[in-house]
Amino acid sequence: MTDILLMVFAAIAILGAAATAIQKNPYDKLISLGMLFAGVIPFVVAGGYLDVAISLALIVPITTIILLQAVWRCRL
Amino acid sequence: MDMLTEMVHIIVAFAVAWILFIATDIIFRLPEKGGVSGAKAIGEEIEKAGGNINGGYMMGNIVSSPDASAGTLLAACGVFIAGIWGGLFAAVLVYIGNRICHDKGYAGTTGAVIATFVIYAFITYAGFAPEQFIAGMILAILTIQGISHKYASKVLGKLWRLRA
Amino acid sequence: MIVESICAIVALYASIRILAEKNTLRKLPFLNVLNFAITGLIALILPHPMGIAAAAAYFVGSTLESNAIASTFAKQSEVADD
Repeated sequence: MTDILLMVFAAIAILGAAATAIQKNPYDKLISLGMLFAGVIPFVVAGGYLDVAISLALIVPITTIILLQAVWRCRL
Repeated sequence: MDMLTEMVHIIVAFAVAWILFIATDIIFRLPEKGGVSGAKAIGEEIEKAGGNINGGYMMGNIVSSPDASAGTLLAACGVFIAGIWGGLFAAVLVYIGNRICHDKGYAGTTGAVIATFVIYAFITYAGFAPEQFIAGMILAILTIQGISHKYASKVLGKLWRLRA
Repeated sequence: MIVESICAIVALYASIRILAEKNTLRKLPFLNVLNFAITGLIALILPHPMGIAAAAAYFVGSTLESNAIASTFAKQSEVADD
């Protein structure tokens, strides 16, 4: 059962990565990056590394917030 | 437990979770205004797409801070993992999360505590399993945020007019 | 087993809706649905006492992320309008 679930998450992560590469608007890129992260974290949890999952869940949003200060300078 | 019973249980859990989190959010006046600037912008965007402004504000508030819907989901996860104390621990975590997101945190914490006791009562007296409430809550948030923003915000606006 | 399938189907549906939606601010509710499904699945995949903390940390973190994206986008649109 978990194998089928992980295939679904792999599909979500690949879709998110492709959308991050393709889209033009920088905010859309950040939203797709959030989708990529949502697809990746169940792999960390299925491996049993809950501490890694907690630290990732805190580091990734902070990285996004710092990246927003760079996106702020882009012209839409 | 056969498959049909489980499906009926999930549908009942969906109805209970929907009523629980919508009632808690409306009692704590989430549709009144956008709490932060992001929630306000999402509400105005949904109104521009043909929806209701108060329903839009409530959907924006659900997106931008953990409110009663997040409280219900995390309480279900807590009860699934560690019984009633897990649910109360999840309520504490929801309060901390609300403070991180610059929110007062009454709606989320109250929702989590109420949901813990409701889910525990259903498990003890009606033979439900806690994971059925996780599925029910995910279906409930899907009907509000995921099907059609226009009609969902109109339904929420009608419920808000009953309260106001 | 039904519960996990429901969560996975909802997650896949939400990610397809994110890609199909054109408006940036209206993508965020679909991202919220995806985060709900993943939070539920973290608890379902590995029932361990620290799983509650992991699910809550993931949910709060992703909420903070969408809050920051929405408020920065709104502020930049206001500046562009002036």
